[in-house]
Amino acid sequence: MNKALRRTIVQMVYHGRDGHIPSAFSIVDILNVLYRDSLKYDPRRPDWPERDYFVLSKGHGCMALYAVLEQHGFLTPDQMKTFCRAGGILGEHPDCTKVPGVEASTGSLGHGFPFAVGIALGLRIRRMPNRVYVLVGDGECHEGTVWEAANVAVNRRLGNLCVMVDWNGSAAQLMPQDDLPAKWRAFGWETLVIDGHSEPEIKAAMEQFTGRSSDTPFVIIAKTVKGKGVPMVEGHGVWHHRIPTEEEYRLMMEALA
Amino acid sequence: MGSNAIRQQFADTMLAVGQEDPNLVVLIGDISHFLLQPFAKACPDRFYNIGICEPTIVSMAAGLAKTGFFPVVHTIAPFIIDRAFEQLKLDFCYQGLGGTLITVGSAFDYSNLGCTHHCYDDFALLKALPNTQVIFPASAVEFDVLFRQTYRNGLLTLFRLPAHLHGQTFSREAISIGKGLRLTEGTTLTLITTGPQLRSALAAQEPLRAMGWDPEILYLHTVRPLDTELIRESVSKTGCVLVIEEHSWSGGLGDDVLRATHDLGGIQYASLSIPDAFVRDYGTYEEHCEALGLSRDGILRTVASRFALKKEVMR
Repeated sequence: MNKALRRTIVQMVYHGRDGHIPSAFSIVDILNVLYRDSLKYDPRRPDWPERDYFVLSKGHGCMALYAVLEQHGFLTPDQMKTFCRAGGILGEHPDCTKVPGVEASTGSLGHGFPFAVGIALGLRIRRMPNRVYVLVGDGECHEGTVWEAANVAVNRRLGNLCVMVDWNGSAAQLMPQDDLPAKWRAFGWETLVIDGHSEPEIKAAMEQFTGRSSDTPFVIIAKTVKGKGVPMVEGHGVWHHRIPTEEEYRLMMEALA
Repeated sequence: MGSNAIRQQFADTMLAVGQEDPNLVVLIGDISHFLLQPFAKACPDRFYNIGICEPTIVSMAAGLAKTGFFPVVHTIAPFIIDRAFEQLKLDFCYQGLGGTLITVGSAFDYSNLGCTHHCYDDFALLKALPNTQVIFPASAVEFDVLFRQTYRNGLLTLFRLPAHLHGQTFSREAISIGKGLRLTEGTTLTLITTGPQLRSALAAQEPLRAMGWDPEILYLHTVRPLDTELIRESVSKTGCVLVIEEHSWSGGLGDDVLRATHDLGGIQYASLSIPDAFVRDYGTYEEHCEALGLSRDGILRTVASRFALKKEVMR
């Protein structure tokens, strides 16, 4: 569990007076390992043709993406301070027209995944070896387009595509029939279930994806905890879209020290 | 509704452009599969009958544009425009990605299939989005020329293909995106049409002359960008304008013409379009047109009831 990136997220939300801390904490370990160990990119050339693509379909987790993009040189500390400020480039949803390293403007759920399927198809038509990663939320899996895209990706044999599902239990709040691994397997995806806060497990899952030669798309279903890292915000309560007070901010930073 | 010359031209243009340009990709929603086989055989890596999942097809097409392709999405109009509107808005227009939508089932062309297969809000919806163009061609050559002019310009362009054509022949040189065509010159009344309703306007010419009017007919294959210059020039001269379109009364060409001319002063304006009610009846395309007044007789009735002839006709 990465504490430094979580501190960055808390600072952004506290100073920007907006944001989704628990949703970002849920995915930040996955993004940390993805950008540190797997994804091909060049922060000096965000549109480098040989890069791998990462699409954050669950757009409201973007504070985690911003923190990772800063860590890897896409964003500056000064830019991070403009989160949710007039004239800044960082909003509560990632915007590819403003933010270097963001591949898709997302926020309305169920868009980023089929968009990534189109990218994967385009790369395959061009016979390019780049890989495409996309992160969806388990609540996002309520959207019909997630399953349309899952169906198309298998039938178009897009083995260059890796979906990561942030299985933090949000979906089951409303629809308790929540056996996501069975659903993805039923759609024909090579399916792996891991602990989404265990760096070794995340890394091993990504190595399994990159090390194989297959035309079946790959899904990593990451069991996560919404708000993981600070007990006060863990779970599905009021913290989904809450801004910490000065005292709460101090307690969070202490917990993440 | 079977194939017609413009739908065949669509297939021919995809084949010709696809062989010239390796970045053209065609995605269809399980229609026109057989029609497009020549393109599919010539460019097998760039033809995909994705299936019955239109929002995903639109998002995928935007993803293809992200990787440098010029995607074409083709299926029945409401399944793209109405069902996948958010995908058009966010995945194409907001992100500044270009592509082409080629729809069939214009307005009420699928007259017996009812509301599910009608689409007469497409001009309004597409025009409300930045980075779009709207084209309603009603001859084969218009489609071919305008597709070649637009498909890689970085905008999202709608081609609404009608089942019924206007029957006029234009030279390739006369056709240009955003430029209207003046078919006849007149001095007392401007008739502005798009799509197959040009036929009604042409048929109304002589009866209008017999009624004492001297009509000028403008044909706009491009609804957006609007040829404001041509419209203002004509309406300034005639002082009287009737817009005829197979679209809802709200948000179509009629509204745009009114906006383009409202400051000219003393203008008489009327619109023949689909009123603020769903088209619920069955029957043929022609019967629908007649019922809605989208016909020669509808034009004559509207001119007689709404306009006063103010000028002497100079002959």
